[in-house]
Amino acid sequence: MRFQRVAQGISFGIFAALLVLAAYPFAEGVQVDFFLRMDPVLGVATLIAAKVFLFFLIPALVVLSITVVAGRLFCGFVCPMGTTIDLMDSCLRPNRKATARESSYEATSRFRGWKYLLLISILVAAVAGTSLVHLGSPLSLVTRFFGLVVHPILLLVADQGIHWSAPLATVYPDLQYIQFPRKVFATNAFVALIFVAIGLLVYVHPRFWCRNLCPAGALMGFLARKPLFRRTVSESCTCCGQCSRACPMGAISENPLHTVFSECIMCERCREVCPVGAVGFWTAPSLEGANIEPDPTRRGLLFSAASGLLAAGLFRTSIHQPSVGSADTVLVAGDLIRPPGALPEPEFLSRCVRCGECMKACATNTLQPIWLKAGLEGIFSPVLVTRLAGCAITCNVCGKVCPTGAIRDLPLIEKQHAKVGTAWINRSNCLVWEQDRKCLVCDEVCLYNAVSFKPVPGLKNAAPFVEENRCTGCGWCESKCPVQGESAIKVNILGEVRLATGSYVEKAKEYGFVFKSRDNSGDKLAPETFDPLRKSGAQPPSLGPEDEAGVVLPPGFLPNKQ
Amino acid sequence: MTSKTDRREFLRSGLLTAATMVGATTGLLAPRSTMAQKTPDVVVSHGTDPAKMTRSAVEALGGMKQFVKPGQKVVIKPNMSFASGPERGANTHPAVVREVAAMCAEAGASRISVVDYVLNDPSACMSLSKIPEFCQDVPNTMVNHVKARRLFQEVPVKNGKELKSLEVLKEVLESDVLIAVPVGKSHSSAGISLSMKGMMGLIHNRVSFHSRYDLHTAIVDMASVLKPNLVVIDGTRILSSGGPSGPGKVIPLNLVIASTDMVAADAQMVALGTWYDRKFTPSQVRHIRGAAERGLGRMDLDNLLIVDVKS
Repeated sequence: MRFQRVAQGISFGIFAALLVLAAYPFAEGVQVDFFLRMDPVLGVATLIAAKVFLFFLIPALVVLSITVVAGRLFCGFVCPMGTTIDLMDSCLRPNRKATARESSYEATSRFRGWKYLLLISILVAAVAGTSLVHLGSPLSLVTRFFGLVVHPILLLVADQGIHWSAPLATVYPDLQYIQFPRKVFATNAFVALIFVAIGLLVYVHPRFWCRNLCPAGALMGFLARKPLFRRTVSESCTCCGQCSRACPMGAISENPLHTVFSECIMCERCREVCPVGAVGFWTAPSLEGANIEPDPTRRGLLFSAASGLLAAGLFRTSIHQPSVGSADTVLVAGDLIRPPGALPEPEFLSRCVRCGECMKACATNTLQPIWLKAGLEGIFSPVLVTRLAGCAITCNVCGKVCPTGAIRDLPLIEKQHAKVGTAWINRSNCLVWEQDRKCLVCDEVCLYNAVSFKPVPGLKNAAPFVEENRCTGCGWCESKCPVQGESAIKVNILGEVRLATGSYVEKAKEYGFVFKSRDNSGDKLAPETFDPLRKSGAQPPSLGPEDEAGVVLPPGFLPNKQ
Repeated sequence: MTSKTDRREFLRSGLLTAATMVGATTGLLAPRSTMAQKTPDVVVSHGTDPAKMTRSAVEALGGMKQFVKPGQKVVIKPNMSFASGPERGANTHPAVVREVAAMCAEAGASRISVVDYVLNDPSACMSLSKIPEFCQDVPNTMVNHVKARRLFQEVPVKNGKELKSLEVLKEVLESDVLIAVPVGKSHSSAGISLSMKGMMGLIHNRVSFHSRYDLHTAIVDMASVLKPNLVVIDGTRILSSGGPSGPGKVIPLNLVIASTDMVAADAQMVALGTWYDRKFTPSQVRHIRGAAERGLGRMDLDNLLIVDVKS
């Protein structure tokens, strides 16, 4: 086994393990977002777009410094995107046959400049305050794909496997009790489609993405024009062309003595295949490559910069998005409920890289990627889909796994005070208000006692009211509302609090919120405390029959008459 | 398993009724002592050690060998749906569950499956309830939670007033013996949750119980299908209010109830406990009254042979 493959395997294993660990309950101290933070374009573009130095993106800067010394080592050995593409290549094109001439840099250089153009677009848009990171960051793409597409499918397959193993129940009866949670995601088909398109480009060239499209590769390639450690070829070279044919990046010139260092990922495949041992990787100032680096034309550069600006301009003037710090009027969908601790919307969008870690980690699956609900700029960003599930009271994992701080890493008590919206009763849908039927579910599931039932003239049954200052917008009421179709109680972003800095507890005090879990042991509660049978505080007066003394009985009891 | 007990129950209750009538007409029934050598209908075991109380209660009914034959498969249904410890009273005391499992193992059960549908995070329920921890050294015993639908199978409910069918845990259908080991607790919708209400932990279509059907009638319908062969109610402490999850008022009663009649066992627990700071008669609990009226068991405690034991 070649060293590069071993390194790729280990690296991918760590990547997958960290992705699995991005879950509730959270393993404190494990930096599950470490791979994302190593992505140079994610790091640099987010620093620029957010206009703030984020110390947790230092790994990206470390990767860039390594690139200056040792070239695009990251691409060849670490990047899980590169590993996945290599894997697809060996599965889809196991017997690739190309001549040395066809494989040379010159013959494959047609699309090389695109990645620089994409990089420039992303950086220019970032300067203009708009993050396009999710379009090109390889780690964002690969994390989103594995977290939102592959992981749920694997869970499904595993559960089905247990189901199919039912004949083994006589031997291992407890095998059947292994139960995997079900995860579902909106827009997962789009996530898959983008990734599959990237993967299928291996039919054109091996590592097509890495050669031609990856903006992180472009950024590293720019710094790897003359790395300290690099491919050197000695005079014994016979120009047989084996190296050109083997190079996954097409980084070797028609003249095999010449290397395009900005494309070389240091995999040393060329050294292994060289029949005369002419190739080495060292600092020796041997025969240099001629100046055949990809050189985007001025027209191309201007075009990409302009397209970055245009994208930023389009987003800034879209109906949905205000610019950072502005008081512009914008249209915000009422159900665009951001996760608790999300920065104010413009800052949030400039930092969110759409990696999907928060949604992968969400304890209740309520965090979902959106498509165009927040405009083109908000694509794949997370919202709470409260009809699906509520936000778990004892979980603050989304903030812990966010690589860029778009969702703040809040202590539990802070997170519990981060109001994301307010529940509203849609009386025309409500069983009590519309049909005068007895239903208490929203009150019973509310962990904060924010729903109260009061007698209303004209109705036999007490009807639900929401006390806004007690409601955090967690959404359990909406998710458990027994009305089929549209819920009779819905969380709206009204009253959401989004603080870039400072304490949510203090703010809640200032605004007069009373977020009191009715269960004092709230911190010990498991996240799925959503038993619809839970009892709330005072029962409404119309509940049970009265006993002989005129006292209302608890539900389930009859008067003592024989 | 379910249809088998139907016939036995029918014969037993039929014989009991006949005996009662004969006894009543001949004047034999009046003093309890004349039936002293008969198996009690309900045993109430008092003490402070949950394991000892459990054992003496079952032994007063003739011992576990009356219910479990060597090689049989047993399902034990405790309460372990909530992520909280024994002190909160939402789950059955782990020592009670362990002792029941241990007695099954001593009787020669080939498989003892302790199982409940969990409402909170499964791993938190398992660890905080301490039931797996207590049962780990009992031979042939496994503790599992259930949620996945594939573990359930639809069965018809004959004579059901609300339910026409139920999705019952497959393992229950395949087992020989079902033992209910609930904790005594209050319940915000059913009033009281004991052995009958606890059977909801073995079915899958639970939500419709609350939304689609009259809960109390549905519980009785379910009890007509899921009849435990033995009921052991944990009354070491009861969750007197705030049930089913708690937190609520926890009252130590220092007793364990055992019976082969789920209605009688539940009725005895209702009578001995204090609920929502007041006393209730068994007939005030809608699902207990419904079950008795449908002949699933007896709630007329005055006419039952109730034996108190100390341990």
